[in-house]
Amino acid sequence: MEEFSSVYRECYPRVLAYAASHAGPRLAEDITSETFTVAWRRLDQMPSNALPWLLGIARNLVRAAHRQTTTYELTDSPAEDDFAVVELRAALASLSDADQEVLTLIAWHGLAAAEAAQVLGCTTATFFVRLHRARRRLQAALWTPNFDRARASWKTS
Amino acid sequence: MEDLLKDLAQAKPPVPEVDPERMERDLARIVTLPRERPARKQFVRRFAPLLVIGAVIVLAVVLLPAPPQPVQPAAPPKWWHELTRQWSLMIVGDPADPYAVHIDSKTDRWLAANQQVTVLQKDGDVRPFPLDRDGNPWEAAGRPETVPQVGGTHSVRIGPMKPAVQKTAVAGFQMSLHSQARFDSLDSLPADPQELKKALETIVGKDAYRLGSLAMELISSNVSADQRRAAFELVKTLDGARFLGDVTVLNERRGVGVAIAAPPTFQFADVETQLVIDAETGLPIVKRDVITTPQFGLPAQIAISETEYLLLEQVGFEPIVPQDVPVNGEVESPIIER
Repeated sequence: MEEFSSVYRECYPRVLAYAASHAGPRLAEDITSETFTVAWRRLDQMPSNALPWLLGIARNLVRAAHRQTTTYELTDSPAEDDFAVVELRAALASLSDADQEVLTLIAWHGLAAAEAAQVLGCTTATFFVRLHRARRRLQAALWTPNFDRARASWKTS
Repeated sequence: MEDLLKDLAQAKPPVPEVDPERMERDLARIVTLPRERPARKQFVRRFAPLLVIGAVIVLAVVLLPAPPQPVQPAAPPKWWHELTRQWSLMIVGDPADPYAVHIDSKTDRWLAANQQVTVLQKDGDVRPFPLDRDGNPWEAAGRPETVPQVGGTHSVRIGPMKPAVQKTAVAGFQMSLHSQARFDSLDSLPADPQELKKALETIVGKDAYRLGSLAMELISSNVSADQRRAAFELVKTLDGARFLGDVTVLNERRGVGVAIAAPPTFQFADVETQLVIDAETGLPIVKRDVITTPQFGLPAQIAISETEYLLLEQVGFEPIVPQDVPVNGEVESPIIER
């Protein structure tokens, strides 16, 4: 139990951050709590590097929550960020869920490629391919006419 | 490319602060929960001698005449059981000539203080739904297994859905699987519409739709008849609410209804949510989202999604869940990535 408590206290903030970024701050604590509940039940399967495994559980719970929820309950966009950040987030949001996940596991949650691959249940090689493609699509999304128009309206408003 | 990831790291949304009190409270609760048994082989190897002794004792007990059983009083009801059937329409196919799919399933929900068991996608099925009477566009397209959403980035899988079981342990009564609204006790909620409104505003704020949604959830919860009545009256008084009076729904069931304007869904604008309750019991009969203007060839006042309340009851037995479905496993949604 001591080992579980130690993993819990060490990984809680990162699972919370993952849940918040994928399901919004309102659901984050509940998903985190449920993630560790599932982890406790399956303690025998917990690997020594527990974080990717925990994020894998959180990922399933987030997906279940997304399936159940309506848009207004998950929407939570900070208003005070500068345009470059807003633009990047919008470009990210225009990608598929799979691309967003690949990119944010690295950029927001600080996982190594091998760890991120474990969260997604794929090989590291596959992960690198998906990361490469996702980065290319994010770059392309930043240069679509919609974003150019948004950039122009931002400057003139 | 590398810079792009660095830029993305800068765009990371604010991380919520850890609430140490909640963190420790959750930990204390989690470690009291039962754990899954270790692998069967290991168990058998370690406890084989005990199993043999146990089997002998069981055999002896079975062969002995049974003593008279003391009469036990019935256990008090423990769970609030909701069985609902819900369906929704999703517009799919070629945006220039779309059709719809009808996504239909049942949900079994068992709710108690501090825990919740939900069986999702029971008897679930997705089938094509032509928007006009001229032919079947899905068949004309060669009966594809998946069809793309219109205006979305996903596809929908045609055919049966797989059921899923979710068990969650949360403090208090959570109003739905996705809602943040939670009460330590439902008994303490006011039975006066205005007082109830004030109490609910402390949870979801003053937004009329969120208030109305929460009040509608309360109506289907394990509350008293007075509280249920107050929740319905509350919905009637919300900004933009419309009392529908006596209405007939679903197989000639009669009830009274109320409607509130709803935010647009990702495919439909001009939507209102209607709730129809049984005038005598106050229990809900049906809740549905209706479009108020013609869209995608569908006429105004047609439902685009509906929840029918099949069972709302207090029960004293444990939730009945399908045995062949892993608890808290992945939900295989019919909405899939393209």
